[in-house]
Amino acid sequence: MKALTGNRLDDGEVVFWAAGGWVLQFQDAELFSDPDLAAAAEGEAKGQTKVVVDPYLIDLIESGEHWAPLSYRERLRALGPTNHLGHGKQVEGGAVLEAIAAASGAARSTGRVNLIKRK
Amino acid sequence: MPKLIKRLADGQFVAEADPFTAVSDEAELPPGDVIISLTRFQAEGDRLLSEGRAVGVRIEPAEQVEALAYDLPRLALVAVAFPTYRDGRAYTSATLLRERLGFTGEVRAVGDVLREQAGFMVRCGIDAFEPNDGSDPDQWAHAVGRHRHVYQRAADGRVTAFQERGEG
Amino acid sequence: MYLYDAIDKDILADRTQEFREQVARRLAGEITEDQFKPIRLMNGLYLQLHAYMLRVAIPYGSMDSRQLRMLAQIGRKYDKAYGHFTTRTNLQFHWISLKDTPDILADLASVDMHAIQTSGNCIRNVTADPYAGATAEEIDDPRVWSEAIRQWSSLHPEFSFLPRKFKIAITAAPKDRTAAKVHDIGLVVRRARDGTLGFEVMVGGGLGASPYIGQTIKEFLPASRLFSYLDAILRVYNRLGRRDNRTKARIKILVSSLGAEEFGRQVEAEWEQVGPAGDLPDTELARIRGAFAAHPFETLPTQSEAFERAKAADAAFARFARNNLKPHKKPGYTIVEISLKAIGETPGDMTSDQMDVVADLGARYGSDDIRATHEQNLVLPHVKLDDAHAVYQALAAAGLATPNINLISDIIACPGLDYCALANARAIPVAQDIARRFADQDRAELIGELKIKISGCINACGHHHVGHIGILGVDKKGEEFYQLTLGGSGAEDASVGKVLGPALSADRVAGAIDALVDVYLRERQGEERFLDTYRRTGVTPFKEAVYAEAH
Repeated sequence: MKALTGNRLDDGEVVFWAAGGWVLQFQDAELFSDPDLAAAAEGEAKGQTKVVVDPYLIDLIESGEHWAPLSYRERLRALGPTNHLGHGKQVEGGAVLEAIAAASGAARSTGRVNLIKRK
Repeated sequence: MPKLIKRLADGQFVAEADPFTAVSDEAELPPGDVIISLTRFQAEGDRLLSEGRAVGVRIEPAEQVEALAYDLPRLALVAVAFPTYRDGRAYTSATLLRERLGFTGEVRAVGDVLREQAGFMVRCGIDAFEPNDGSDPDQWAHAVGRHRHVYQRAADGRVTAFQERGEG
Repeated sequence: MYLYDAIDKDILADRTQEFREQVARRLAGEITEDQFKPIRLMNGLYLQLHAYMLRVAIPYGSMDSRQLRMLAQIGRKYDKAYGHFTTRTNLQFHWISLKDTPDILADLASVDMHAIQTSGNCIRNVTADPYAGATAEEIDDPRVWSEAIRQWSSLHPEFSFLPRKFKIAITAAPKDRTAAKVHDIGLVVRRARDGTLGFEVMVGGGLGASPYIGQTIKEFLPASRLFSYLDAILRVYNRLGRRDNRTKARIKILVSSLGAEEFGRQVEAEWEQVGPAGDLPDTELARIRGAFAAHPFETLPTQSEAFERAKAADAAFARFARNNLKPHKKPGYTIVEISLKAIGETPGDMTSDQMDVVADLGARYGSDDIRATHEQNLVLPHVKLDDAHAVYQALAAAGLATPNINLISDIIACPGLDYCALANARAIPVAQDIARRFADQDRAELIGELKIKISGCINACGHHHVGHIGILGVDKKGEEFYQLTLGGSGAEDASVGKVLGPALSADRVAGAIDALVDVYLRERQGEERFLDTYRRTGVTPFKEAVYAEAH
């Protein structure tokens, strides 16, 4: 399972793809079980060069009843920094964010590996 | 979008027709003025100059511009190449051409040439530009004119801040 | 302090306006991200995990109260009311918008501050001794040369697209508080036997993925010839530095592959061509030097009765004085180190309110002179001993009086994976764990000088290679692991730390530090610091303690 993420150009906010647009919270993100649909969305996102910078796909892992990003890096992007729990998206709270915070079994996310290689 | 922008002696930026043809090492030489690689110049330069053509030499970043020292009086133009705009070796090549080798012909920036670097290029003595970003002479003039003062000496001989302060 | 004249101010204003236009073009899609990235980096703007990060330059670590207050205000207006001091004495804001950045740069410019060249493949902020002008040990004030280099390097047309970043540090006292030996150029101020002022020039030091100690290519460069020589070094590097492989593009690789002798010879040949025409006129140097003329110190007795009484009456102040006050060249004065390493807090972070407190103290008690150190702390270099207690009380009320300078809980840590797009692991929680474990101040003083430095990735922004104990965060199949190194030093006795053993999981790190400290306390002889004991005994007793039986 994958999701598509990037940083918003004008303010750097972490955003997630949802049906052609971008949302601020992982819980509202579109999830892709079909790799072709994921790739198509990524292609479309990359064309939005005035909206988002460097969109890429991330791997997800199950955490309880919810999906969570597989890698620490993406969990931190979805939540916020661990040294300031009052900063970032984690302030919103809720079951999905809690599931991310509680997720185990972290591993490298291929999307980031590809991003680095491409550079 | 002009292929060639020149900076005139009075500082104006104008689009100009390019009398030169850039010719690769393998291609046949057309008649008229040409820009060729250092390698090709070292092989055929004398002959071409004796034919009465204006000859320009293209210097790649890894090439030493000093190799042209003795030929510069006969050259109309040196093209300094930017394979990517991030490769800053052409700034040194241009600087040496002006400051050390005393070249007074045209120094032309070719390759990944962007108006965002116009100021640096002019300061290093580059006076002709083949823009890679579709920019026009007004945009180059604007980019170059953005800074009222400069701190350090460069090939353009522009008055520095410390000179403005009346010190040497 | 160097005060910006109309020309300096114009330069900042023009740069700000230029960037404003470039941002507008980027937002309108007229420049691509690929074309824009070096531009924004040369204005100190990174895109990090959660937002943009702006790295504000604090040139050679020096600022006044007006500037620190503006940093506080920028934090409140555009960020989350705090900032982070870095190992290159800059200040980072971690929650910045691109669209706000032109206004932020304008606000900075209004107090003569900027973010010019705090990133990018260009010459970065020059760092110098934070005790400049206050220590009896210095041969000459390194700020004079730092400011001259700042001007020479700012928007340098020939050297703004180098193979890679370029960092210069200047030390002028026997004790090196700048890590000069691990910089691309390290300048050591020296005086020749006939009294001529000059520099020992070291090149090719650096940390990152492959650490190198700088090598001396010129034992004595007359000070008047500094800029022609710098031109020569930069030109040789610009021409010959590798551009095919980003991990091999620093000057340290070039110096290593040519050999220091050959590199020095090429610089010498280029220097001869540059000649004195490349040097700064004496009049300009004198003008800059004049800006740093010593402000009038009062004539005071060496001993301050008020200070002695306060120490006797207030044990906590006595402890603060013991650890955080350093000798000043003038009788009756002291250097006050302000720890940004409160136990359990984020190393190097400071709230806007705390910045205002220090700004006020600087103005009221500190000759309006405030410094940032490369160990992520602040300094008030000129405080009367008579006033030390009042300063301490104000600091204590603001949570800025932790008496741990150079002790085990005075930890350097990069922002790490909590903030940084380059990181492999978090650094801040590791630092917090260790600090909490060694929160007992008596124990910390018993242990003495022990520099722990933590980096969240191989880029080594936390300077782990030169930590007495270095900690490098690595990604082991997606989990955060930490590799320990021992015996590094960033001071005049510079050395690169050696790996202790296999990387440890996050929960084992603080315990490992405990074990290392126990070995040191057991083995130490005389006045040995941790580093000295390690250098004498070698790694074996330390390695056994950490990797023997599972804890």
